[in-house]
Amino acid sequence: MAARHPSESDPLRGSLDLLILKALSLAPMHGWGVGLRIQQISRGRLEVNQGSLYPALQRLEHRGDIESDWQSTENNRRARYYTITRQGRKALGEEVDKWKRFADTIAVILES
Amino acid sequence: MSLLKGLVARTRSVFAAHASEARMEEEFCFHLNMETERLVSAGMAPDEARRRALVAFGGLDQHREAMRDGRGARLLADFTSDIRYALRAIRRSPGFAIAVAMTLGVGIGVNGIVFGYVNTMLFRPMPVNNAKELVGVFTLDTRSGSPGLLAYQDYLDFRDRSGAFAGLAGETGVPLNLVAAAIGSAATADMIWGDMVTENFFSVLGMRPAIGRFFTAADAPRGGNPFAVLSYDCWRQRFHGDSSIVGRVVRINGSEFTITGVAPSGFKGLRTFGFWPEMFVPVGMHNVVMPGSKQLLEGRGAGWIYVVGRMHPRWTMQRTERAASVFAAQLASTYPGSNENFGVTLLPGGSGFDHPGFVKPRVLVLASAMGLFASIVTLLIICANLANMQLARAAARTHEIAIRLSLGCSRTRLARQLLAEALVLAIPGTVLAMMLVRLSPWLEQFLVPHLQFRVGLGPTSDYRVALFTAAVALLAVLLFALMPALRVTRPSLAPTPASVIGARGRGARPRSGIRGMLVVTQLAMSVVLLVGGTLFVRSLFVARAIDLGFDASNRLLLSVNIGLQSYDGARGRRFYDDVLTRTRALPDVVSAAWAFPVPFDTYGRGVGLYVASARTNSKNGTFSSNSSVVSDDFVKALGLRLEAGRELAAGDTSGVPRVMIVSRSLATRLWPGRDPIGQRARQGSASGPEVMVVGVVSDASFLSLGDQTPDRAYLPIRQNYREWQTLVIHTRGEPMTALPRIRAIVASIDPSLPPFGVMTMKQSVESGFSTSRMAASVAGFFAALALLIAAVGLYAVVAGSVTERTREIGVRLALGSTPSGVLRFIMSGGARLGAWGLAIGLIFSIAVAKLMGGLLYGLSPSDPVTFIVAPAVLAIVVLIATYLPARRAVKLDPIAALRSE
Repeated sequence: MAARHPSESDPLRGSLDLLILKALSLAPMHGWGVGLRIQQISRGRLEVNQGSLYPALQRLEHRGDIESDWQSTENNRRARYYTITRQGRKALGEEVDKWKRFADTIAVILES
Repeated sequence: MSLLKGLVARTRSVFAAHASEARMEEEFCFHLNMETERLVSAGMAPDEARRRALVAFGGLDQHREAMRDGRGARLLADFTSDIRYALRAIRRSPGFAIAVAMTLGVGIGVNGIVFGYVNTMLFRPMPVNNAKELVGVFTLDTRSGSPGLLAYQDYLDFRDRSGAFAGLAGETGVPLNLVAAAIGSAATADMIWGDMVTENFFSVLGMRPAIGRFFTAADAPRGGNPFAVLSYDCWRQRFHGDSSIVGRVVRINGSEFTITGVAPSGFKGLRTFGFWPEMFVPVGMHNVVMPGSKQLLEGRGAGWIYVVGRMHPRWTMQRTERAASVFAAQLASTYPGSNENFGVTLLPGGSGFDHPGFVKPRVLVLASAMGLFASIVTLLIICANLANMQLARAAARTHEIAIRLSLGCSRTRLARQLLAEALVLAIPGTVLAMMLVRLSPWLEQFLVPHLQFRVGLGPTSDYRVALFTAAVALLAVLLFALMPALRVTRPSLAPTPASVIGARGRGARPRSGIRGMLVVTQLAMSVVLLVGGTLFVRSLFVARAIDLGFDASNRLLLSVNIGLQSYDGARGRRFYDDVLTRTRALPDVVSAAWAFPVPFDTYGRGVGLYVASARTNSKNGTFSSNSSVVSDDFVKALGLRLEAGRELAAGDTSGVPRVMIVSRSLATRLWPGRDPIGQRARQGSASGPEVMVVGVVSDASFLSLGDQTPDRAYLPIRQNYREWQTLVIHTRGEPMTALPRIRAIVASIDPSLPPFGVMTMKQSVESGFSTSRMAASVAGFFAALALLIAAVGLYAVVAGSVTERTREIGVRLALGSTPSGVLRFIMSGGARLGAWGLAIGLIFSIAVAKLMGGLLYGLSPSDPVTFIVAPAVLAIVVLIATYLPARRAVKLDPIAALRSE
């Protein structure tokens, strides 16, 4: 049954949430914008499967890290905009710390 | 709780699924459009851009699925697969499923039915507007504190001048001689129970008629408005729900009344205990409805009206009572003569009320308590048994469960699976239960005997009963499913290969321990019910053997109330004489007489007898005895034994010295050690007319079996005119065959006089057993049911242990145990459970039997026969329930048994 969760087998799982939160911490955005932003920040080095953003967004919203509502875009289309919540900012901070510690640890091991 | 929450979330997700599905598609579409546009603006051909956008997005369906999972639709899918799996499991063992559904259905249904009765008695709401504002208003003697009914003039003052109530209405119950015809049938005469009501009665209650209209102010007293409103039941039963009923004319007490409307269904008068009124007539017709009640509307102080008041909006009962009491004090000072010590008291009236001085019949309260107790105990037994069956089944399925657990199925998942199975089993059970509840009015005919009037008791099935039944069903499912589900999946119990011979000590015991306990509980509870049932049934037999003091065989009874037809004394006497003469002339009549009350009448009468030398038991110095007013020949007609003196004769009439016949007990009480014949007493008071004893008859049971007050004086009707009499006819053969001729005689003298209470004396005596018989059938039913279920439970436990120990038994047999040894070994386990159940059950039985003492006739609650019979029956059941599976064990082939694992 675990096979039915594509996100679970995604190597970016966990870090995807982190990236989304980071992207949204800059400004509220719709899903497409989030994907674009991640690509821009990584300067094209990170190829995110765009569709997998949505289950992740849903998961984050369910957890209360982000909120969403329907707004119109500048060229007058209806889109769902996601906003990071206070809890989301806190989680982002913690995740970033954790990630850095983890990266440091790996770096220490690799350099030894 | 989390189970409930999960269920709610799942349900919600089903409804929300459609909307969120659409939103999801819109979001995906937006994304793809934006991406395509981005690529096009970067110089890509639109078709190619679209393709690339889709590729970048990845598998659409895959993402859709992922989103759905996140929403909980997945849980729903799991749930439906649980149900499907449960259905498959049940299909594999249909016998088990049928047994569970039936047991559960009967258990829940019985609870629903019993609650239906309790609902009628305690919670029946009146179909009125804002019932919480209603209060019952009674007088209160400020000195003695005893409550009473208001007089009409006091009621009017309260209504018009006190300001304490927003509205005040009154009613009183009256017997009515009704002659009416439903469309297309001949008119029939019947005596029914009605309510004489103030004209504002229905408007104060805030009721809407089902048909037509209620009374108006124009129907006020002395208005002479012969209008009547039917109760819903009366309209349905007597007039077949005829929709053109308004305007129909019926005869009530000899006068014509026009029907103006029909009360809403479910309205059965104000009183909780009492007769259900079939018809409502305005108080303005009091002279027709209650002949000879000229002073009814006059007078103050003591009265006759049941008053119901509607409180002012937002007034509390305390405030209303204070206001009413202030006004009552004014009335007391204004009318010091009639209203001395005048006060008022209120009762909450939303679901009806009774006279505050009325003590709820002990028998009814006890019977309902017994009924509730028995049904709840039965349900517990049923749940215990179902839990047991689940456990037994789970034990048999250990293999399957072990495989599923080892394949990584989580414990909660497995528990949910078992719960789903229980739910699937519960649904047909609940349906069966609801059907039983619907059938309860029909079942009632078997359990409750025929009464002269319909008493205000009977099962109702409304939303309360449905809710209660549903709650019981839910509880039962949780009890019987959850416990085994949790138990079976407990990791420590996850099946291990059973050790071979050691199973006797370690492996088997703990698992059957809880089942054994359940069986002991079931057996103990069935002992309690068994003792209760046996006591009732025994009491019934003992009661039948009691000497009634009169002869009940070949006697026909038929009552009339000529007072309701406005007969005066002279016309009444003529009527009584005419009927007697013509009845006695019939060829199949041995003798006939008028008498009231006759044995086992619902009514009693008393007479005060003053004898200077005798002890008194009443205020005015007389000895108060039960009395009957009778015609000549009554000793013969009733089959009483004349022990001394003579029978009353046609010559004992007005104008000659008053005479009477007394019962043996009364004679001894008034004139101990003397010959009662020729003794004199004064009737009513020390200055009353002198009355001489001319005969002594055997003591007879009049009120109930084993009547504790056999004192009775028989006064001749010619000297003590009464308007309500019962004709007692001693017939040669079957009494009912004489009935048409006797009815014809009455009808030929007065066609609009309805005889009522027609039955044989045997039937009347039987109705004296009614409470006891009802209790016996209820208790017997429950006891049999409980015992049967307990036996099934015991059987299941013993059979289960045989299955579990197949190898062990095989080894024993192979090592040379004799079959009888194995039989004894297996049965001793069951017997031990039986003994425990019996011991615990007997302790509880003693307490319950004491409680039941008031319902038993001529039988001690510690009746030795009962306490021998009930355990004996249990022992036999235990023996059978253990022998059958044990015999199977003995027949095992040792070699096959050893190979069985």
